[in-house]
Amino acid sequence: MTAAERSRRSVSLLIFVLSATCWGLLLVKPAAVKHCFVTGGELSRTSLEILLLTNPISPMLAGWGLMVLAMMLPKLIIPIQYTCERSFKNRRFRAASLFVLGYMGVWMVVGALMIGGILGLTLFMPGSYTPAIVVGIIAAIWQFSPVKQQCLNRGHNHKALAAFGRAADYDSVLFGFEHAVWCVGSNWVLMLFPVLLPGGNNFVMLAVTLLMLSEHMEAPRTPRWRINLSSKLIRILFAQTSIRLARS
Amino acid sequence: MATYTRKNAWNQNGTFSNSDLLWYAKGVRAMQARALNDQASWWFFAAIHNEYLSGQTTFPGWAYISAPPAVPTSPLPSQSIRDKFWNQCQHQSWYFEPWHRGYLIAIEAQIRAIVIGLGGPNDWSLPYWNYFGPGNQYKIPPAFTQLTLPDGSPNPLFVKARYGPRNNGDIYIPLPPVSQDCQRNTIYTGSNAVTPNPGYGGPSTGFSNAGSVSGNLENNPHNMVHTYIGGSITSTDYGLMSDPGTAALDPIFYLHHCNIDRMWASWNAAGNANPTSTNWLKGPAATGGRKFVMPMPSSRAGWVYTPNDMKSLSQLNYVYDNLSTGITKQLVGSLAQRLTKLGVNLIQTQPQPDENMDMGGNSEMVGANEGALTLKNSGARTAVRFQKEAWAKVPKSLMNASVTKVPDHVYLQLENVKGKMDSNVLAVSVNHKLAGHVSLFGLRKASSNDGHHGGAGLTFILDITNLVDELHLNNALDADSLDVTISPDNDIPNDEEITVGRVSLHRQPQS
Repeated sequence: MTAAERSRRSVSLLIFVLSATCWGLLLVKPAAVKHCFVTGGELSRTSLEILLLTNPISPMLAGWGLMVLAMMLPKLIIPIQYTCERSFKNRRFRAASLFVLGYMGVWMVVGALMIGGILGLTLFMPGSYTPAIVVGIIAAIWQFSPVKQQCLNRGHNHKALAAFGRAADYDSVLFGFEHAVWCVGSNWVLMLFPVLLPGGNNFVMLAVTLLMLSEHMEAPRTPRWRINLSSKLIRILFAQTSIRLARS
Repeated sequence: MATYTRKNAWNQNGTFSNSDLLWYAKGVRAMQARALNDQASWWFFAAIHNEYLSGQTTFPGWAYISAPPAVPTSPLPSQSIRDKFWNQCQHQSWYFEPWHRGYLIAIEAQIRAIVIGLGGPNDWSLPYWNYFGPGNQYKIPPAFTQLTLPDGSPNPLFVKARYGPRNNGDIYIPLPPVSQDCQRNTIYTGSNAVTPNPGYGGPSTGFSNAGSVSGNLENNPHNMVHTYIGGSITSTDYGLMSDPGTAALDPIFYLHHCNIDRMWASWNAAGNANPTSTNWLKGPAATGGRKFVMPMPSSRAGWVYTPNDMKSLSQLNYVYDNLSTGITKQLVGSLAQRLTKLGVNLIQTQPQPDENMDMGGNSEMVGANEGALTLKNSGARTAVRFQKEAWAKVPKSLMNASVTKVPDHVYLQLENVKGKMDSNVLAVSVNHKLAGHVSLFGLRKASSNDGHHGGAGLTFILDITNLVDELHLNNALDADSLDVTISPDNDIPNDEEITVGRVSLHRQPQS
């Protein structure tokens, strides 16, 4: 293994640990964090005022942010490695942080809009599977569309970064911003689907995370309508397990 | 004992008196007579490498290629067949060598079957074009420039869109800048005193598709030869060989790659090892990627192979009549020469680092220019400014150089190079001294938003260690920056542009 590969591996490990921590927090549900899931029947026909009282925006946004970090951090390994390799050593952490900041900024705006929608659905269709079914259908159409493939392809575009001063900071944020735009384009509906489910959210979130990671690792392809359920992660796991079993 | 021997295309002066070339021409003609959707057709095989068969409204779309050859664009095979076989070529990857070896074996088998069917020799083998050979061998074998075969029929080896390094139809390989210096490398992936980054065979290809840097064999001579054979006339008419999406339509493609394959075999025969990593041996499938698969006369379902199957000629049924490249290894003493030049008094008995090992440490960026560059005919000039703290380590490592403290290697990187015309070579100079050349083969595909690199373009690494050593010896390293100029070999049409996202400078400590 070359030194560059060892360095990339340590970045990957760190990001996986961070992602796992976020998953842990999501499961533990600290007081400052509230899931933005469509909640159960206890909110039936309540007023918006009471709804907002029981579902304050800040903890919901925090929950959304934590969810995005948990689900998306593994997808950011390559661009973060890229950002570090293309930055001066004493700016690497700063550049990577600014990249994540730009990336999260876009997802938080999208999150605010989604939370608004979720609150509305909670108000008018508490505990209903209908929104999840509708969004699930949209997700299936989007999943197989050329637009989704275009967004996935553009996620592989790693832009040139300025090296010095404020220009470097700006480029890191912009890279994160642009990466997030394509990420939102490819995954918005997949992210919406689990939060609309009245139950089983964490399990579906995990499945969606694995699917998103898998399709992110696929090589760019010509955009067209196709059945597009990436199996790359499964193929990697299968191949690597076979290799290790053969060795032992 | 191998059954098949691949021989020099320049035997019998590279004319049709060389029966290997005459039978090759007949085989190509038979394959070209087959339909696009026939897995044994010339067109299908070209598409296995790469293609422009959909979404193109102008050249290099296959529909817009000037005949000959008259390239068909229908009937297309089924989508599942296309997904299985087409667009497989491996570039900017450590799979470059083994994938192309299997590709050659497959087309050679197709042509051999035709040759045998026509009453030709049972042991017909693909000839190679060794443009590094003596005499006129830097020129394309004349059989490829004749309009007709000896019997007066059209010559299928003749291609209109083949313009050469001066864009006038005179096809030859300029030596230099094309060189076989890569044969002096001693490691496949990584770097050491005689192997610049990313190594002879290319960078390791992991679970994602982030690679954009060619290995040293791929960079020069492979990419350079592609570009120089292809050449260009206008932005809408450049040589087939210049672009991976059209290259394998030109029959000279396979003779060029046969020589690249010969060079790899020669490199191994000189005692250099291929990777032993399972991820290389098992191919991209080990990291969730596509399997290498080729149609064969005996199996249209496809012959699946891995780099492990391709790693040595001793396990395959062919040899080369000559593995000599005329390059002698500089294993012993290359580091000593550098250290002596830098003023280090070497003790003869002092053990030196093993030059068959990867000695490259973690690279670190030490300087960069500001802003993207747009190349026009006059080229571009930029200052690569040092980041003082980082750059200080370079002169320090040169000052403290010894056998146990091997000085840094220094690389200039052209990042995110984008454009639509592959048919160009860029000459790069640092402080008015030539640092090297890079070919833009693959530029269009790498710059396409839906291409393998997602539109990120190509990145080139130039080893400028010797140049920096010279600057150090001339006390010229105290400046704040390096002066970098980039000059295109060919004119860049007014309606085209080539951009360089950034020029950066990197140091790599040596362990």
